Amino acid sequence: MSDAALPRRPAWLAGRATGPRLARHTLTLIALALLLAPLADLSVVTRDPWTELGRMLQGLAWPDFASVESPFHALGLTVSVALWGTLAGVVLGFPLALLFARSRLVRAGCAFVRAIHELFWALLFLQVFGLSALTALAALAIPYAGIFAKVFAEILEQTPRAPADALPPGVGRLSRFLYAELPLAWTQLAAYIRYRFECGLRASVLLGFVGLPTLGFQLETAFREGRYPEAGALLWCFYLLIATLPWWSHRRLVPLLLVGGVFLLGPWPAVDGGLLWRFVSQDLWPAPLLAGDGAGLVDWFASIPELAPAIGNTLLLALLGTVGALLVAMALWPLASRHFGHPASRLAGRGLLVLLRSTPELMLAFVFLLLLGPSLLPAWLALALHNGALIAFLVARHADGLEPGMPGLPASGRLAYELLPRVYPSLLALLYYRAEVILRETAILGMLGVATLGYYIDENFQYLMFDTAAFLLLVTAGLNIAVDALSRRLRPREVPQEDPCLR
Amino acid sequence: MAPTEHTNEPLLTLDGVDLGHGERVVLPRVHLHLARGERVALLGPSGAGKSTLLAALRERLGGAVAWCPQHHGLVPGLAVYHNVYMGRLAEHSALANLWNLVRPLRGPWGEVAALCELVGLDGLMRRPVGQLSGGQRQRTAIARALYQQREVFLGDEPVASVDPHQAHRLLGLIEQRHTTSVIALHQRELALTRFDRVWGLRDGRLVIDAPASTLSLDDLDALYPDADDTAASAEAPEPAAPSPASLPCSRGRA
Repeated sequence: MSDAALPRRPAWLAGRATGPRLARHTLTLIALALLLAPLADLSVVTRDPWTELGRMLQGLAWPDFASVESPFHALGLTVSVALWGTLAGVVLGFPLALLFARSRLVRAGCAFVRAIHELFWALLFLQVFGLSALTALAALAIPYAGIFAKVFAEILEQTPRAPADALPPGVGRLSRFLYAELPLAWTQLAAYIRYRFECGLRASVLLGFVGLPTLGFQLETAFREGRYPEAGALLWCFYLLIATLPWWSHRRLVPLLLVGGVFLLGPWPAVDGGLLWRFVSQDLWPAPLLAGDGAGLVDWFASIPELAPAIGNTLLLALLGTVGALLVAMALWPLASRHFGHPASRLAGRGLLVLLRSTPELMLAFVFLLLLGPSLLPAWLALALHNGALIAFLVARHADGLEPGMPGLPASGRLAYELLPRVYPSLLALLYYRAEVILRETAILGMLGVATLGYYIDENFQYLMFDTAAFLLLVTAGLNIAVDALSRRLRPREVPQEDPCLR
Repeated sequence: MAPTEHTNEPLLTLDGVDLGHGERVVLPRVHLHLARGERVALLGPSGAGKSTLLAALRERLGGAVAWCPQHHGLVPGLAVYHNVYMGRLAEHSALANLWNLVRPLRGPWGEVAALCELVGLDGLMRRPVGQLSGGQRQRTAIARALYQQREVFLGDEPVASVDPHQAHRLLGLIEQRHTTSVIALHQRELALTRFDRVWGLRDGRLVIDAPASTLSLDDLDALYPDADDTAASAEAPEPAAPSPASLPCSRGRA
């Protein structure tokens, strides 16, 4: 057959099949990140990062458990805060879930509280409740209520209709819900609560960074003061806590943990109602707005620090973090998959992924920051590694459930022809889910000194300029909601109904 | 079971009504008459509109109906007892229903236990429906319908996945406890032996509406397009009609 008679050979990555389409999509994303990367400050500021890294790894390898002061109290408090915070989130979120589909107001409110990171909520409540368990619980419960409302509503919406249709006429709404809806959704609801509790555990550790006496507080101090063996010991405690989660968080033990937690959480602060009301009704609002002074409001706006660079940095870091997470996930998932390597390499790969994904991103960023100095680089590394490992872990699990149609292909062929085409759409979908989380994390990394929106929020709280801080929180939330909507549009449509526990 | 064609007190009359879901008409211009005391077998290939017709009857007869839907409409996470109890959910207060989930109410527990023994589910009352076999689920669904204690039984293939002997026994129970019944099924012999009247649906039309005594298996075979080719071998028993288990379930036509 002559060349002319052949069907036309497609150009590079041309075609409407899912593979080339998603490849083009991905390459565009990477190109965009490369194009914008020069705008980001990715310099290494510290003089000798390698020696410092060596000392840290040494601390991790030879932890000094004796130097940790009352580790059990910190661990217990971390668990109690996560447990009670999640429970309060369920209690607040469940009724909202029932209204979710019907009320635009509820949906908007939930989107708003979700869009603000737990740590920012903690900063806010810190002003009224001080360094107390109430601050910690509220910081978890409020955003989680918004998340639970949304996810519960989605789960309930997907329950089969047949049992409810089969009921005799005249059954009340509550009875119908109790018998024909709730039992059908129960397993999924419970699985999601459990997943959220794990997130709560990480968030609870992070609350130590704003001064609450959870594990993170001791971790931060130890790291900051260069006591790496102590920091290493604390980190191992945390990993142990996460690794043994399935045993100590058994269904039957939860009531016991809840009761024990109450004793650890105290002493409760005396809430001054007048002070609280003043904070909510006056301190959070610009004074000219309350006074109805139009010109004063313009001046007030002028007094807000230049936001464009901070917003730019936030978005840029989120984009870089997302693309970095994509690259990390692509590089790491085969390490943990049963289709590649040998048992030892897989064990190492899985271990690495579990370590990276259990370490809270703020923690990672903090360590990199100590190593590299305050530029966008440590934040970027932390976001890419943490989220990339998380996605890689899920993708490896997905791939392990697949059976290659043609056994005996070489590893490269297995990757490129058998597995990647099947797992890539869900990998990309996961990435777009994470994009919103990454943006939220980007903002809080500012608390470490990276010049994102969070930096200014933290600063304004420190200077007691609550009105400005509240305004910046609003900006952050708005940004988050916008990026969430964007990532939902970009997400590949090929992936069927996804498990909420993967977000 | 003497034919009771002459009881005649009308329960429901459809006179040229279009039946369907919303805008989509599945059964155009239906004419039929259901008399009190009548036992009707509803036959037809899957997708012919049996479920649509039953749903329309259910809607029109309202509170008089004990309803046994296709695919049972059971809740897998609840025990057999609770699934049967759901038949009378409307008769108790929400609070009583809630408490019943915590601990079964004494009265209903006894009544449901008696029913479960009748349909052959004794000893399974506390087992989650998700752990039951297909036949056991079917019997749970029938027990739930019986528990409602209504005048009319409407069943969408209630005896599709039980063995022939059980089918006879369960149909007997249904007859005993309801004055009137309309039951969709695929077993043609059962339709001729246990029912007064047969309604046959094909392609959205009611093509048979006659006393069971005037019909033969050949007449019923004509309802099934797949049986046309093998019409010569009329005495071919069950296999001629598509067995309900092998058919794709027609979701969304409840």
